[in-house]
Amino acid sequence: MWAYVVRRCLVGVALIMALTLITFALFFASPVDPARFACGKNCSAEQRDVTRAALGYDKPFVVQWAGYLKGLAVGRDFPLDAEQRAAAPDQVTHCAAPCLGYSHLDSKTVNEMVADALPITASLAIVALVMWLIGGVLFGILAAIHQGSLIDRGVVGGTLVIYAFPSFAIAVFLLQYVAVKWGIVPLPRYTEIADGGLWAWFSNLLLPALTLALLYLAGYVRMTRAFVLESLSEDYIRTAKAKGLKSRTVVFKHALRAALTPLVTMTGLDFASLLGGAIITERVFTYHGLGMLTVDANNSSDLAVLVGIVLLAGMIVIIANIVVDVLYAYIDPRVKVA
Amino acid sequence: MRSKLRRIGAAAAAAGLGLSLAACGGSGSDDASGGDAEGSKGGTLHYLLNAPIESADPQRVYYGFQLASWRRTLYRGLVAFPMDKDEKAGNTPVADLATDTGTPNEDASSWEFTIKDGVKWEDGSDITCEDFRYGASRVFANDVITGGPNYTLSYLDVPQKDGKPTYPGPYKATPEQQAEFDKAIACDGNKITYNFNKPWADFPLAAAGMMMTDPYKESFDEGPKSEWKVLANGPYKLEGGVWDKNKGGTMVRNEAYDEKTDDPEKLRLALPDEIVWSVDGSDEASEIINQRLIADSGDDQYAITTGRVPATMLQQVTGAVEERYSNVLSPYVRYLVLNAKSMTNPKVREALKVSTDIDSVIKAQGGDKIGVPAESLVNPVTPGYQDNPAFEGDNAGDVEAAKKLLEESGEKLPYPIQLSYAKSPTNDAAMGALQQKWEAAGFKVTLDGLGDTYYDVISKPDKKSDVMLAGWGNDWPSMMTVMPPLFDSRPNVSATDCNNDYGCYHSDEFNKKLDEAANASDLDAQIKALQESDEILGKDVAYIPLYVEKFNWLRGSKVTGFDVTPASSSYPEIGLIGVQN
Repeated sequence: MWAYVVRRCLVGVALIMALTLITFALFFASPVDPARFACGKNCSAEQRDVTRAALGYDKPFVVQWAGYLKGLAVGRDFPLDAEQRAAAPDQVTHCAAPCLGYSHLDSKTVNEMVADALPITASLAIVALVMWLIGGVLFGILAAIHQGSLIDRGVVGGTLVIYAFPSFAIAVFLLQYVAVKWGIVPLPRYTEIADGGLWAWFSNLLLPALTLALLYLAGYVRMTRAFVLESLSEDYIRTAKAKGLKSRTVVFKHALRAALTPLVTMTGLDFASLLGGAIITERVFTYHGLGMLTVDANNSSDLAVLVGIVLLAGMIVIIANIVVDVLYAYIDPRVKVA
Repeated sequence: MRSKLRRIGAAAAAAGLGLSLAACGGSGSDDASGGDAEGSKGGTLHYLLNAPIESADPQRVYYGFQLASWRRTLYRGLVAFPMDKDEKAGNTPVADLATDTGTPNEDASSWEFTIKDGVKWEDGSDITCEDFRYGASRVFANDVITGGPNYTLSYLDVPQKDGKPTYPGPYKATPEQQAEFDKAIACDGNKITYNFNKPWADFPLAAAGMMMTDPYKESFDEGPKSEWKVLANGPYKLEGGVWDKNKGGTMVRNEAYDEKTDDPEKLRLALPDEIVWSVDGSDEASEIINQRLIADSGDDQYAITTGRVPATMLQQVTGAVEERYSNVLSPYVRYLVLNAKSMTNPKVREALKVSTDIDSVIKAQGGDKIGVPAESLVNPVTPGYQDNPAFEGDNAGDVEAAKKLLEESGEKLPYPIQLSYAKSPTNDAAMGALQQKWEAAGFKVTLDGLGDTYYDVISKPDKKSDVMLAGWGNDWPSMMTVMPPLFDSRPNVSATDCNNDYGCYHSDEFNKKLDEAANASDLDAQIKALQESDEILGKDVAYIPLYVEKFNWLRGSKVTGFDVTPASSSYPEIGLIGVQN
């Protein structure tokens, strides 16, 4: 087992390095000049060159990439200009390993920016996850045990209708109507638990999390329904029924457990991808999580932030994959790790 | 000389006045005079921003609304534009931290100011001449202090090499370099003298409109780490001292500010006790904010915004909501640039100009509440503005005249052109309207809507674009911040880039006029040279003006004194605004 985990981790590190290289290559292949954005409105070509050098974009991308990897391994000091650091040591920002980079536009390390944004994205993902899991599994079981009935068709049809709406439309509807026009809930603004308490944290997450949960709900309803139905047709379920077990026990203890295995896989991967940032939802609700940070960094051509987020998102997905594989073995004893 | 310059400045502003706001204001429910109750001191004003700002550092601030509103609240300058609706008065600086608006030498290459006694930073320390000098020196550290206006780099009389200043800013300067800089900005007690390498006739206007010469306290400076820090000297300070890019900040009364050193009636009434600035950085920020202002509940009753009412929402501005609505001319002009490298035939350029259907463009953008036809690239409120004679006449596009010109051009018809623009639903519609009329005249138009890469693409010398959509607003009320940055080929055009001169336009005759303007020792001469330079651009059809943008503002029902002024760049004039207590 441990050898397997170590092997997966090593592959993960190689993947992350490849991700950073691809991001650097794509960034520098783009026709967008990051110095144009940073240089201000009335900026001569000459001034833009100075700005480009100040941003560190004047060097070949492989050199910049190598510097970035060094920062990941041992940390880095900013600004990169050694003369500047020597002349004004009080202006130096040390970015400890693993250093994800430094945003010249925000004058902050990417680690700090990620540390600010991650709790917001994680909060959103956790509340959405709880919503869609509870809703998805319960409605899925309901549809399965009433297979072919009006309830079954109603649940599956209803969730599909919601699924058909793009998340953007749901988010804008919830924000513009439920919050602004009808005033049913206050305008959502992320509130930390430390600032406003648990209720303020949760109530402000309600609409954005609901947007995400509705997006995922239909998939989980259908998956749960399908897996439970499949389990219900297994021999061991027939045996359990024949032994006279209550139908609740048959469904929840025996059928659902078997259905959980693929659901856990799905959940792990979906949750991991959400931790990389729910771009549309965060953007509509102005939640300054990783999704919003990604869009802002893209709009302002902030390479350091883009690479940092790609790296983080990649890492989360890779770790989630490893965790899911391990959980798989735990939940389903039939699965053995080779 | 000093009085002469002032007279000339006034005359120039008056010239602008006569031609400027015939169409300003009044086209909406009101002319932005508010009609609200008179404001009184106290209460909390909420300012809803539809996008994050780029920096809180005065030497890096470049957004028009931020320059205007922070001048009224946090950062005072040597001089400032008054809160006057009249263009002549509103475009004429008055003393702020200085005792007067400055004394120039004979050719305006040197300006002397005296700093008032008793002006202080929020920490209680005096604002000194050295603070002004230090602030100006930071602009030269353009590898650290990026993004702000940098006009002083080409004006201040510091040693140069290959046309560039050798002074690297205060962080890396050697003692010798610093000594040279200290001669360019000389301090003698409270007297500060700016020595330039050429005349700078409109320097007080630049100092009022921008913050590049604002004071900065050296001991507060942490270079790049100061990007979001604020050390105020105005009637407000920032709670906590650090601006949150994503959230904003709260301005509270600055106890170290002494109203007696100020001219509150002219420069800043500072009515609210608190101003809460909230950032909504979403793509739909303007829609959401204006929906909130229409709903007018809770704190939104005390709110103003930088988010204009989108054209699609204007139909909701009716009844009681209309009482809280203003439609005003902005300082921004939309125009088309012709590629000088590909559109070389003068008859073809002329044909394109005469068949440009400006009326349909405005209609497609949302109608007369979104813009009014422009007769020049220069905004009508700019001192010295005059209609460019090349663009007088019908705004609907004259197809027959264009057909005739194209036939005379000797070119094979239909004449193919590629029209590039920043893609958006309204721009698609507006450019479609242009396409229709141009094609009727004999052009074959390919629409080229571009995303984030737009300005990078159109600034390339080898682009495929023949005509490009652009927009501009002057940095301070002077044509020197319009024609030179946009069409002077010398700082703009290189082998790899045409920078802001998107059409890669080059004309020695035009550049000569710019030099005349730059070296003019009085505003009258400067304005004359710039007017002539615009005529050259018109004659060459270097650009085609489309429309002057209009701003549509909503405000909460408990906001008082809402207005816009030339100094506020047609954004809410925060120096006048209060809330009902």
